Amino acid sequence: MSINEFDVIIIGGGITGAGTMRDCAMRGLKTLLIERSDIATGATGRNHGLLHSGARYAVNDPESAEECIKENMILRRIASHCVDETDGLFISLPEDDLAYQQTFVEACRKAGISAEIIDPELAKRLEPSVNPDITGAVRVPDGSVDPFRLCAANMLDAKLHGGQVRLHTTVTGFIKEGDTIRGVHTRNLVTGEERDFYAPVTVNAGGIWGHDIAALAGVNVGMFPAKGALLVFAHRVNNMVINRCRKPSNADILVPGDTVCIIGTTSTRIPFEECDNVAVTPDEVNLLITEGAKMTPSLSSTRILRAYAGVRPLVSADDDPSGRNISRGIVCLDHETRDGLKGFITITGGKLMTYRLMAEIATDAVCRKLAIEKKCETSETPLPGSEEGSYEAVARKIWEKPSMAQKAAAARMGSHAHKIMTRDRLDEALICECEEVSLAEIKVAIERLNASTLTDLRRRTRIGMGTCQGEFCACRAAGLLAKAHGCIEKEREDLKDFLQERWKGNFPIGWGDTLREAEYTQWVYKHVLGL
Amino acid sequence: MKHQEYTLSTHNFEECMKCTVCTAYCPVLQVNPLYPGPKQAGPDGERLRLKDPFFFNVGLKYCLNCKRCEVACPSGVKVADLIQAARIKYDTSPVKWRDRLLASTDFMGSLARPVAPIANAVTGLGITKTMMDAMFKIDHRRTFPKYSGRSFERWMGRHEKEQAAFPEQVAYFHGCYVNYNFPRLGKDLVKVLNALGVGVQLLEKEKCCGVAMISNRMMNEATRNANQNITALTKAVDKGLMVLTTSSTCTLTLRDEYPALLGVDNSGVRDFILMASRFIYERLEKGATLRFKPDYHKKVAYHTPCHMEKLGWGVFSEKLLRTIPGLEFTMLDSACCGIAGTYGFKRENYEASQAIGQPLFDQIKSVNPDVVACDCETCKWQIEMSTGYTVMNPISILAEAIEV
Amino acid sequence: MKFNSVIIGGGLAGLTAGITLQKAGKSTAIISTGQNALHFFSGSFESMEEAPQRIVDLFAEAGIGLHYAPGVRLMPMGTFKKATLSLDDVSLFPDPKIGHKALIVSFTGYHDFFCDFLADGLEKQGIQCRVNMLNLPELEMLEKSPSEMRSVQIARAMDHRWETIVRELRILIRDEDIVVLPQVFGLNDSSILSRIRQSIPAQVVFVGTLPPSVPGIRTQILLKRRYEVLGGTYLIGDQVTGAHVYDNVIHSVVTQNLGNHFLEADNFILATGGFFSKGLKSNPFDISEPIFGLDVEQAEDRNDWYNPEFMREQPYMKYGVATDPTLHAIAGGEPIKNLFAIGSILGGTRTDMGMGGGLALRSALAAADQIIKQAEQ
Repeated sequence: MSINEFDVIIIGGGITGAGTMRDCAMRGLKTLLIERSDIATGATGRNHGLLHSGARYAVNDPESAEECIKENMILRRIASHCVDETDGLFISLPEDDLAYQQTFVEACRKAGISAEIIDPELAKRLEPSVNPDITGAVRVPDGSVDPFRLCAANMLDAKLHGGQVRLHTTVTGFIKEGDTIRGVHTRNLVTGEERDFYAPVTVNAGGIWGHDIAALAGVNVGMFPAKGALLVFAHRVNNMVINRCRKPSNADILVPGDTVCIIGTTSTRIPFEECDNVAVTPDEVNLLITEGAKMTPSLSSTRILRAYAGVRPLVSADDDPSGRNISRGIVCLDHETRDGLKGFITITGGKLMTYRLMAEIATDAVCRKLAIEKKCETSETPLPGSEEGSYEAVARKIWEKPSMAQKAAAARMGSHAHKIMTRDRLDEALICECEEVSLAEIKVAIERLNASTLTDLRRRTRIGMGTCQGEFCACRAAGLLAKAHGCIEKEREDLKDFLQERWKGNFPIGWGDTLREAEYTQWVYKHVLGL
Repeated sequence: MKHQEYTLSTHNFEECMKCTVCTAYCPVLQVNPLYPGPKQAGPDGERLRLKDPFFFNVGLKYCLNCKRCEVACPSGVKVADLIQAARIKYDTSPVKWRDRLLASTDFMGSLARPVAPIANAVTGLGITKTMMDAMFKIDHRRTFPKYSGRSFERWMGRHEKEQAAFPEQVAYFHGCYVNYNFPRLGKDLVKVLNALGVGVQLLEKEKCCGVAMISNRMMNEATRNANQNITALTKAVDKGLMVLTTSSTCTLTLRDEYPALLGVDNSGVRDFILMASRFIYERLEKGATLRFKPDYHKKVAYHTPCHMEKLGWGVFSEKLLRTIPGLEFTMLDSACCGIAGTYGFKRENYEASQAIGQPLFDQIKSVNPDVVACDCETCKWQIEMSTGYTVMNPISILAEAIEV
Repeated sequence: MKFNSVIIGGGLAGLTAGITLQKAGKSTAIISTGQNALHFFSGSFESMEEAPQRIVDLFAEAGIGLHYAPGVRLMPMGTFKKATLSLDDVSLFPDPKIGHKALIVSFTGYHDFFCDFLADGLEKQGIQCRVNMLNLPELEMLEKSPSEMRSVQIARAMDHRWETIVRELRILIRDEDIVVLPQVFGLNDSSILSRIRQSIPAQVVFVGTLPPSVPGIRTQILLKRRYEVLGGTYLIGDQVTGAHVYDNVIHSVVTQNLGNHFLEADNFILATGGFFSKGLKSNPFDISEPIFGLDVEQAEDRNDWYNPEFMREQPYMKYGVATDPTLHAIAGGEPIKNLFAIGSILGGTRTDMGMGGGLALRSALAAADQIIKQAEQ
């Protein structure tokens, strides 16, 4: 095989693509993943970060619920450094029908989800931020998951098994021979280089953009973009996931994650043109705060960090163009049987936390096409970083008396935190003070984790995710990136892009301390630094 | 309330704009690189501690609790309270015996007083200091305050009837220093107040304000003292009395630290606790008069104790001193003297303490006053030990300058 | 306590008004919630179209050297910005071609000064650049701290050791005609700047760093000192929580620290700044002025407070309290007889021209002049 030939090409660097790449690589396939931007820039990077117990779906969609709880348990084992085992509560407020709780609990049990009815007073002790007027509470094994870490860990494992990743590369067309896809034409968006890659099977894991990728291949996959808006609060108000025990609705989940908590979400159909530039509307902001405050009253007076939105790829269950019939589960389309197009598979639908199952299904399909019989081992093998215990144990093992930045790195990288070990004391300098990110960690992200812009760094190290939203760390990190890739003008533009992204998330909630912070950021960048 | 009409957070930590101004005013940062600084220890650290107590940094113990970060903060974040509260909540290490010793001022005071001349001689000996350094890590270079043979409370007991004869009355929270070490200051206050026609009475039962217990994490003892003090203060306030103080640190502790760090409600008494210098100045402003010695002359340099800076009442001590004819007044740059109560006694902090106070000591020497004026007793020990200049409370200077 | 004027806000505007009034024999008090925006001062006062001798003199009397020379200055990102009235720290040039060869010097482990950006900016002007990082034993202690190697801490060390820098530079310099240094000199002693300049055989250009601003802090210290030497009372760490107003005249204000010891005055000046300093308060519904409830000029619809493009002019930064042409603040449509508003609390700050330093200076003088004049009548 030449260097441009692979067993399988995967299009899309979100969690689905990354997971599929890992599974394929672990089964011995020579794998190439192509992603037009950076990892996790689609729905993977803009969701709630919820490790569902599946309870939410138990009543209306028991199949999804069963899938969820199985994958929940698997991810706790294989992705321990990406998962925060917080447990969750389904609370009933006075206006909620307490009878639903019974239906809910029975459905959970049927789906294999542990659902324990607890006394509201106990619930308040377990989770002090919860509305003191709750009339009922059910405890479930919800958790939170960091999608960036999960995606990065999957890709890393794939690479360790020989897989290759090409970021900032877009598919410009398919190489077709009659009714068979033989490969892809690509262009590198940074260098402009055009290159062709060949494989007997190509997997379309492009999320909502999979619609256009399929069209490029000549097939139609009915997809409907559904926007979901969320708000990030400035600190971690709750320690358990809090859900409303009622028919699933808008803005009724509050998820704690790392140093923040997130309230979500909504669902609005939007046109394809908006997918690359989603914005949060004032009505959505209002709804999120109002509904969130019902579950956790203190949200009414908690500083909000930013507002963001992601786009779900809703897949049509049939060919009806109105998309009234949406498939709720995982959709794996073998285009040979469906459309007469050989060598092409689309894997879509599902949710972040069932990615591993989606990947297994897709990889099984790939292996069938290649007539390879290899078992899936992704549910048993820990991801890189998750091989050892808690991050506290990891930090103490590596450093004995870890500094704050070392502790934070262990929490982010798991056992791979040893990569930031350094003999140079200067490497311990903090670049991001809000999230405790040291120079050593930034260097590892640039040199070993393909970070080439500030947003890439943000995804991998959390710089800019704290209260100041990049006031200081952005230009400090810009200096480091400039050193790495050598182009200062590009870095000035990168800095402006980064600030623009932060601002996009700030002005929908631009009041109070957020507005004060915005004013300060304006001063620093325009008048102190002269950007 | 409309949603998001205002925001609330513990000690206002979410109002932090990450502007770094607090770091420019922290005295510890200038001398100790192991201290993470008020920004990292305070609002930065708080978000991480809320995620996981594992993120508590033991370096927070180097905080002096001088409150200068709070005075400098443009956003009103209670940075120092945040740091002290974090130490109280997350530092689970046991309190050292040495710290208990240093913080138990009532206990040490009552032990030493009956044998004061011996105690004073012993603590002044080189060999005692060496032993205390070796056994307890109490730095041998630190001078110990002398104890008085007669407590202030005893003296007040003897003058009770005569004080009660005054038609106007105030209560006096004297604090440990006046009671066990320097009753003279209490007597000076009584002299001045009497000259204004005001009689002085003690609180029914006063305990140490507890500031050293708080900074050494003896929370049960501190809370016990606080509750007892609140009871005594309430009794005085219910009688219609103002409660005067002569120590800026006792005052800050009673008024602000009790609710902020101990969760002790003092709303019924807080507004009735006043530093004597403020009380007296307000009297003079309203028309009361004092007769001053015609030939009184003193060159005075005023040092603003950190806690006085936080109270914002240095202006009263300053203006009060300026009313004294013949007093040549210089305002020293507001800077921390470095001792921070029991902090500067500990061997691990001694050098940092002295380095922090050095600019102040240098300025005092260059001003070369007759006396340094200051409302805090531990500042007094520090400045006297480190510069050789005498330090007097403004009340004592006033008492010296008036004619009765 | 009673004063002729009580100034709420102890930043550039408040101090300028206070100094002017004290000099004219008016007793004043300034109340300040913590430190102020001078701590982020770039060193140039924007929106000064003509040489303001009076301001130069006022600052000179406080020991602060200002010069007025319309031109450009080198900014930390390697860009050039127009500037006119500036501190002596700031070098002003007629155009961006400021020299032929530049030596850019910083300190190892210092991340708040951007040598590569500066080199790029200068090279674009055809100036050859060489970057050198000094490794000074004096800064070793700071290097041990992961977060506290900041401009102010370096400046404190440099105040005692500036000769070390000079020595190092004299060894390093070859044929460069420009030496670029971070603004970490002269925190307590501004003469250090000229002494460094005199000792280096090249033009020394001091360029800004991430906050805090050392020249800004020095300016604040010197202005406050001048104010106090003139007899002013500066109450730091305090906040005005209420006011006693009768017949549209303010009688006294209440502060957090002083409680029932009200501050009485004939005149009041509001110099509380913009959003950052909480001079203006905002929530999802409106923007208000929290002390007196003054009228605030703002867009009705919250969406109009912002421009979605970060780098563009932001409408909210131009919001402020309404005043009549003589800077009397307006509440409920009526000007308050003895309340002036000065500085960034005023609406219409031209933020494309900076943080409002020029506005602060001009409005402070205008208000103080009126107070002085009315007393003479």
